[in-house]
Formats: sequence, structure tokens, C-alpha cells
Amino acid sequence: MSEQLTISLNEILFIFTRAGFGVNAPIGISEDFARSNMWLAENGFDPSLCSIVALDSLDEGKSSLAIEQNGDGFSGTSFQYLSALQASVSALDWITSDQGSLLTIANVDSPLLVAAALGANHIEGWKVCWLDESGANFQVNIIGKDGWQIISDTASVIELSKGATMTVSLLRDSELALEGNIQRFDSKAEKAKILQTGVAVHEHWGAIVAYFSRCLVKSTAQSRASGAGAGLVDTD
Amino acid sequence: MPFSAKLDEAMMRPPEQVMRLDRMGSSFPTRLSFMRTLIRRMSKEKWRFEKLRQDVDENGYGVSIYAAHTPERTYSLIAFTQDIPADMRTDRVIAEVWDATFNLFDGVPTQADIDYLAQNTPKQEGGRFRPSELSLARANKSLRLFEHIVSSLADGKQPDVELLASVGYIMRTTAVYGSGKFGCADRAKIAERGECKVSFHMELLAVYLIRWFTIDLVETIAKKRGGDRAVSLESHIRQFIGVGNSTGLGMAPFLLKHPVLIHNWVTAKETALARVRSLETPVQGSLDAYIQSVRQVAQHLKEWRVADEVQSARIAQLETEIAELASWCDDENNLVKPYPWNGIYQFVEDNFSLECQEMVVSLIIEPHGTLVDDLADTMFSTTVPQFEAGMSLARLKSIVRDYYAWATNIDFSLSESQHHFWYYSEDKLEPRFGSKGVDDGVDQEMPLAIGRDTDDLNEQLKSVKDEMTTGEFVLQYPQFRHIIRRIQNTALRPYAEVQDNLLGETMRPLDLLRFKLAFFGASKFDPKSDLWTRISMYQGAPMPDQLADVEHDDWAFSIRPKAPV
Repeated sequence: MSEQLTISLNEILFIFTRAGFGVNAPIGISEDFARSNMWLAENGFDPSLCSIVALDSLDEGKSSLAIEQNGDGFSGTSFQYLSALQASVSALDWITSDQGSLLTIANVDSPLLVAAALGANHIEGWKVCWLDESGANFQVNIIGKDGWQIISDTASVIELSKGATMTVSLLRDSELALEGNIQRFDSKAEKAKILQTGVAVHEHWGAIVAYFSRCLVKSTAQSRASGAGAGLVDTD
Repeated sequence: MPFSAKLDEAMMRPPEQVMRLDRMGSSFPTRLSFMRTLIRRMSKEKWRFEKLRQDVDENGYGVSIYAAHTPERTYSLIAFTQDIPADMRTDRVIAEVWDATFNLFDGVPTQADIDYLAQNTPKQEGGRFRPSELSLARANKSLRLFEHIVSSLADGKQPDVELLASVGYIMRTTAVYGSGKFGCADRAKIAERGECKVSFHMELLAVYLIRWFTIDLVETIAKKRGGDRAVSLESHIRQFIGVGNSTGLGMAPFLLKHPVLIHNWVTAKETALARVRSLETPVQGSLDAYIQSVRQVAQHLKEWRVADEVQSARIAQLETEIAELASWCDDENNLVKPYPWNGIYQFVEDNFSLECQEMVVSLIIEPHGTLVDDLADTMFSTTVPQFEAGMSLARLKSIVRDYYAWATNIDFSLSESQHHFWYYSEDKLEPRFGSKGVDDGVDQEMPLAIGRDTDDLNEQLKSVKDEMTTGEFVLQYPQFRHIIRRIQNTALRPYAEVQDNLLGETMRPLDLLRFKLAFFGASKFDPKSDLWTRISMYQGAPMPDQLADVEHDDWAFSIRPKAPV
């Protein structure tokens, strides 16, 4: 891991919202994207690790925000990946509007973000499963208000999982006992820790900030002169 | 208390009256303002204040630490002071150096903490902070007053009260950051603590301690300079010294990005007003207190002098109106009748300016602490607005129709309706208010164009069927997700929106600033342009050693001190 920087949750909200906007995602989708990243951070993850996959992919044209719904399934409208920024809000909307109990989403660039969207919005009793393009299987169980699990059959890092065909479905109690590599999270306890320590971000943070910076306007002599407080030194 | 919930509701001023820029820009602090509620909490809970350290040289440069001990925990202000070039002393966000820089620390800092902050705090936005730091701030000296007070005290004399009144503060803060900025603690870390629950109480605790620090600093320098000849400030003069502040455009995006919070603030204030207006008979002594406050406020207005022509004219008119109101109140027939407070309010609303109306709102709420102070505990929010995908477009359309007529009635095809845009500059993320066709950055506009975006949505909604859900709609039109989420939540919180065009050619960001600053408890608004203002904070508030006084809460619309009899 490269040099670590510690940031706040509020900085994640601020920076990721505008980073999404920086790759031309609509602001409303970017707001949800930032909330998902906050949830990941609250649970001890470096959110930049998975989100840089999604942002790079959109920026490079490998992913698209265009989406189609066919019954209980979402897919992209092209041969590109479906952006997780779009897939996550669509999955969320599908669940919260009570459209069914089993949803499929094809070819998502950064699938962990879909699970994070459910966690961030307190969607309880649902699971998100996927097989990614490397052949790794992951299952994220959003159990209750503060408890969730990651189950996988691989040592691969879930944040880097890419190109996934996903299912989002109701979680049955019996499924909590699945075998495999299980990581358990207590969101409340994790968040309490993070609030004391801050969120550690690593080598991809700079790239996230670079996308964020696209929202900033270059300063000119004209704009500097028209800013609040312009032209004034202390005279009082 | 003899008030009826039903009458309260009828007495509530509607959002379309309250949430207009011209009225918002006429706001005054009330007893529910955050500085007032913080001072009351300090007094009630018997907070202790302690100077933990003061290592400064004969010019006052060095490090100082001041602590506030609440019943549960300690908060410490760490202050770094330094010599800076006079030509670099500016109020702007993009300043690089300041006379004094501060952190409010969660607990008592160790030497290692102080060493870390000494490397970071003077850099402000260029430093990095940790969850142990609750806020970050900086201040510049009032050049006129700082040296005058030091030299007077060093000579064994009290400062010139006239000069003091003309400035009002020794130092002026130019930013007070909190809530996770630059790595500082997130609000969630402290939100459950009783003393932190109400909005901005920690930031305003930092300011209160800064005020004490500035007064202590001038006395310390005077002592070093004058030795045995030096005197301290008399307590009535100390109490009149506030902390200045320069506020620019940063506050405007905050207001617009926190609609739930704003709704809660305004609801508390409007509920307080409605409760008072609903009183059929006055609480004993309250009318006398009110009449006394009208007289005091007349003096306060004489002392509120600004260079800005627009505000000067408004103050002059306000002085005239307050004098007329005082005469009207002298006639017993106007007050000795049922619902006297409503009578006063109606008289003022029917006859006087918005400035006067809003000042009278403050004045009539003031003597009713037992009736309204509980509302202070509602002035926060933990709600994150959710997108309701299952809502039908029929319902969404009805909300737009019922709550956003102010937006859909604006003709956004006119260039003057979209004259401005809001953006962040790459210069330290300074928020700026650009003009289309003049400034670059339209493509990077901040999403604060609530009225225009609602109008655009309204146009699009005309082409889709009522039966569709908003979830289905945003699949086709994802660009409306943010504004739909906002609108859906506004239906539950009618005071959430500023009901004016924030892009219009005549829009004055100043109105938004004053509205928010009044909720903080700021006074003596001193606009320097339509984009920024100076203010005073805590002027007249009790010093730490006065918090136990019976009169600790009597500092609304403070006036210059008279020598004690």
C-alpha cells in the first residue's frame, strides 16, 4: 500500500459526489454514489479502491450509464459494462418500489458498489450475489440494520471484482450459514471506530480527487476580483 | 402555559411569506439563535472555563490554550498567533496567512497534539486535521482597535468606548470550519452529545473561546508592555467586546444543501412566534419587558452604523419605525386587549418594513423563554433525504403544483432569470457567484438552481403519464434524480426551500448569508457588497466569569457600556 491519508466521512461525501459528476454522471446519481462510498468507509474499507474502477471505466468509455429494464432484469444498452453508478440506484429503486424479490443485473463494472448502495440505504434482509469476469463468486448479505456479511470462494479482493453478472434477492435465514470465506461486519461498531480514527485512503485517492477537480473552475484575474471579500485588506 | 395548539397553527406564517429572499435578508437573531442557546446551556450546566496555557512573547505571538469543562467532558481551544505582513491580511478564503489560527480540540491536547497542530493549523486549508479536532478557524486583528486597547491598558487607562463601539471586536474570524472539513471530526462523532446536538454549537463554542482569547491576549500584551502601570479591561467593557466575522458565499451552498435542517430551524422560530401570537393574555411582566426592549433597541440602532448605502437606508427607516412603534405601544388601548402580541405583530406587518417586522418578531419572542425555549432542542437534523422510487408521477406532479409554484411561475427563458451561476473555484475551493457570458465555468455549475431545475422537471413531467412511478421516470431521465429527491422531501418540510430564483440578475447572496447568520445569533450586519458581510458575534454576551449571573441571558440587541454606578 502506498502512503496513507486519513480523511473524514464528510470529505468522502463531498469529493465522491463531485467525482461522479466529473465523469458526467447526473448529480442525483453521483449523490447516491457518494453515500455508497461513505457506507463502505464506515465499514473500514478504502472506498477509492472499488470506486476508481467504476470512475475510470466510465471515463474511458468502457462503461455506460445507459440502462434497460426487461422485467426483473437490468442490462446495459451496449457491449460496454453497465456502470455501477447507474446499476446501484436502479437496483435500489427496484427494491424500494416493491417490484419483486429477484433481480438480475448484467455485466456491472464494479459490483461491490451495488451492494454498498443497499447498505447505505438500510435495505435489510437482501443479498447480492455475483460471478465476476475472473470467475470469482461473491455474496453480500445485508442482514439487518447494522450487520452484514461477505461470503466468497476466492482470496481475491472484493473491491477489485469487475464485470459481474449479479442477482439481488431476498435473503433467507438458512442462507446465512453458507460455507466459504465469511467476513462479518458490525456497521455500528465499525462506524464508531472510524469516527475516532478517520478513513484511511491509499494510492487511488489522488485519482478520485483528480475526477473531483473537474468540477472546479479555473481561477482568472476576473473571477478572483469578483469573489467575496475581493480587493479588501483589513481596514477596521 | 395558556396557549392553544390549534391557534398556534393558524398563527404560523406560511412558507411563501417566510422563505422569500427579501424577508430572509431582513432577519435578526432571536432567543432561539444558537449563540443564545449555547450561553444558556453553559450557564445552566455550570460549565467551567480555564486557561491551560499561554506561551506568548511581548507581541502576543505564540500558543495559548483555553478549556471549557462541561459536566461530561472538556473541549480546548488551541490558538496560534504570529506576525504577518500587513498587506497579506485579507478576509478572503484565498488568504494565506492570518494573525491567529485555532482548533477546537476534543479533550485536552497533549504536547504531541500541540506539536502536530503547530505544523498544520497556521496553514488552515493547507493543513490536515484529525477526528480529535472539532473545528478549524482563523482570525485577523482589527488594526484600529487592537493596538488602541493594548496601548490604553498598558498606560493604565480604559480604551475609548466610542472607538470600541465603532468596531465591536478585537479580532475578526474569516472562517470557522467544522463537520469533517480538512479531516476534522465528522459531526456524527459528536452528534449524540447533549452539548453538541443543536446545530453549530461546537463551532460557536470555538468562537466563544476565541472571544475570551482575544480579550486575554490584549490584556497580556498590555501587562508585558506596561508592567505595574497596566490595568485590565473593566468587566462592563469586556462584555461589550464581541468577535467579528467576515462571511462570504460559502454559507449559501450550505443553506441550499441542507433543506431538512433549514426547515427545522425555521419551523422552530415560526412556532415560537405563533405561540406568542396565540397568547390571549400576556404573561406577567412580559409586556413591560417588551416595552423596555423597544427602548433599548432604539439605542442599539443608533450604534449600528455601516458604510453600505442600502443597509444604512434600511437602518434609518428602522429607527423611524421603532420610534413610531414605541409611541403606538405607549397607548394602552393598543396593548391592553386580548391577544396583545398578535396585535403588535399585525400592526407592524401592516405598517412597517420587513426589517422592522423581523426585528419585532425577535422582540416579542424575547420575553417568552418559558414558552418557547424547548423549541431549541428541535433545531438539528439527522435525516438523509431518500429518493422514493415508488411514488407515482401523479403525486410528484401534485407536489410540484402545490409547493413549487414559486419556481414554475418564473420565466427561465429570459436571460435575466438565468443571469448567474454558482461554482467552486480551484482557488481553495472558494465558492463564487458567476455571471453567464462573463465568467467561465457554466458547465461546472453547482447544483443549486432549485427553481430552474424544478421548472425543467415540470416541463418534462407534462409529457409523461401519471401512472408511471418516479423510479421508472428516472430510468429515462436520470438528470432529474436530484431534484425529484429534493421535491419529494419538501412535501414533508414546507420551510425547506428558498422560494426565489437564486440565479436571477437581481439576486443578492447577502440575503442568504444574513438569514443563516441570524440563526447563529450574529448582529450588526455590515454588508461590504452583495456577496459578503461583516458581523459581530457574542457582543454583550456574558464572559465566562459572568455565566452564573442572573442576567446571563439578557444580551439581545446589546448597547454600548456605561460606566457602572
